[in-house]
Amino acid sequence: MMEPKPANPLTRRQLFRGAARMMTMTGLGVAVGALATRGAKGASVWQIDPARCLHCGNCATHCVLEQSAVKCVHAYAVCGYCQLCTGFFAPEPNELTTAAENQLCPTAAIKRTYVEDPYYQYSIDEQLCIGCAKCVEGCNRFGNGSLFLQIRHDRCLNCNECAIARACPGDAFRRVPVEHPYLLKTTSR
Amino acid sequence: MKPEFELFDRRKFFGVVTKAAALFSLAGGTKAGAQDKGTANPFAYDISRFQKTDPKLIAYEEVARWPVPHKDARRLAIGPDNQLYVCAGNYINSLSRAGQRGLELALTGPACCVAVARDGTIFAGQRDHIEVFNPKGARLARWAAPDPKTWLTGLAADDKDVFAADAGKLVVLRYDRAGKITGRIGTKDAERNVPGFIVPSPFLDVIICRDGLLRVNNPGRHRIEAYTLDGDFEGAWGKPSAAIEGFCGCCNPIAVTALADGRMVTCEKGIPRVKIYSVTGEFESVVAGAESFPENAHACNDLNDCVHGGIDAAVDSDGRIYILDIVASDVRVMKRKG
Repeated sequence: MMEPKPANPLTRRQLFRGAARMMTMTGLGVAVGALATRGAKGASVWQIDPARCLHCGNCATHCVLEQSAVKCVHAYAVCGYCQLCTGFFAPEPNELTTAAENQLCPTAAIKRTYVEDPYYQYSIDEQLCIGCAKCVEGCNRFGNGSLFLQIRHDRCLNCNECAIARACPGDAFRRVPVEHPYLLKTTSR
Repeated sequence: MKPEFELFDRRKFFGVVTKAAALFSLAGGTKAGAQDKGTANPFAYDISRFQKTDPKLIAYEEVARWPVPHKDARRLAIGPDNQLYVCAGNYINSLSRAGQRGLELALTGPACCVAVARDGTIFAGQRDHIEVFNPKGARLARWAAPDPKTWLTGLAADDKDVFAADAGKLVVLRYDRAGKITGRIGTKDAERNVPGFIVPSPFLDVIICRDGLLRVNNPGRHRIEAYTLDGDFEGAWGKPSAAIEGFCGCCNPIAVTALADGRMVTCEKGIPRVKIYSVTGEFESVVAGAESFPENAHACNDLNDCVHGGIDAAVDSDGRIYILDIVASDVRVMKRKG
C-alpha cells in the first residue's frame, strides 16, 4: 500500500531556510534576554574570592579574551608601603631600583612612587596587567597581602561557563550579585 | 553484484558524526580540564632555591626538641640560671636545660614577650603593659600602657633599666626598675640622626649587649641598629635579599639575640631561618635553615597572615641556641657542631 503524500511537500531549500530563520531568532532572543537580565536585580556576575585565590597563573592564560579580564588590584589601606615590596621586586634584586631586571612583574605593570623615607606607593597600570598573580604571590608570601586579583567587569564577558573558573584549582570563582560585583579586601588576609 | 562500497543513508551518516563528535568532545574536555588544573605555572614566584640551605653553611645541630607547654607560643628568653622562659597563650613557663617544666605564670591576657633580670625578677610583656614578678612568681607590679596604640613585642632587662620594644608606637621605651619611663629610643629624629623604626608587622625586638649598647631590629629597613642606652644612634648593618646573607621579604629580621662574644643571632620569617653574623654584620653561618621549619615556612604559603608565622631564639651561657618555632609550637636546642 502506498503512503499518502502531503498536499504541499516541504522542499530541502525550504527546510534549511526555516531552520536558519529559527536559529537566528533563537540566538537573538538569547542575546536580548542576557542583556536584559544582566543589569536586572537578582542577576549575577563572576568574581574572584581573594581568600580562596591560590595565585596559580591560570587567570592570565585561560580567559577567553586575548588579554585577561582579571587584573591585579591594590588595597591601599592594607599596604605597608614597603621599601622592599615583594610584590614589586624579584626575590633577589640587584638593588632596590625600578630597573627592569629588579622587577617581578613580567609586563612592568606596577608603578613605584616615592612617598617619604622609606615609604613607597605601588599602583597597578591595568592596561599592562595580564592578571598573572606573580605580584600577588610575592605580596601574600612575605607582606600584608594588599595585592589581589579581581575580575574587571568593563572587560569581562560574563560567560555562562567561565573558562578560568573551570581551570581554577582553588575554586575561587563564584557568582556574586551584580549590585556588589567586587570582593574587595579591607584587612590584611 | 554487490557494490564495492556500501553507502550510508543521510540519517545514518548524521547519527555517526554526532556520536563521534560527542565522544571526542567528552574525552577532549575531560583531558583539558585535568591538564588545566595541573599545569605548571609559567608565572610562578620561585623561591625554592632559597628554601634549601647549603650544608656547608650550617654550623649547628639539633640536640633536643621539646613541645611548648601551651598553645600560641610567641617568644622566649633565658634567665640568669640558664632557665628558659617561654611565652605561650596567657602563660609564661620556665623550662630547665633538660626541658623540665618549672614555674608557670598566669597572665590576664596573651603573653607577648618576657625578660629576666640578673636578680631573677621576671618582666612579662602583654600587648599594652608590663607585669613584674619576683623569681618565685609573685606579682610585684603592673606598669600601665604609655599609649593606646602600644604593642609590646620585645623586652630586655639589666640591673637598672628595662627596655620595651613597642611595635605599635615604633619606639623602644626605657623604664627604670620602679616602672617610670625615663627615655624613648629610636623615634625618627633628623637632628639626632635617628632613622626611625619601620615595623610593618608586630615584630620589634631589643637586647642589651655586653658592649653596653642596645641592638634593635629594624625590620622595614632590613637591618640591626645599635643605640646607646640614652638613645644615640651608633650604626646599623644588614641588607635586603632573599639570599642567605641578606634579610628576606618585606620585613626582617624579626628577632635578635647575641652570643657571649658579641656575634649576633638573627631570626627571619617568610623564609624561616636563624643565622649568625659578626658584630659588624658580616654573615658567618646558619644555625637552622628554612628546611628545618617546614610548617613555619608553610604558614606564609597558606592564606593565613604571615604574622602568625615566625621564630625566636635565645642563647644560654654555654652558647647553646634555643629556637622557638611558633607554628610547630616547639623549642629546638641547637649545639655548635664539632
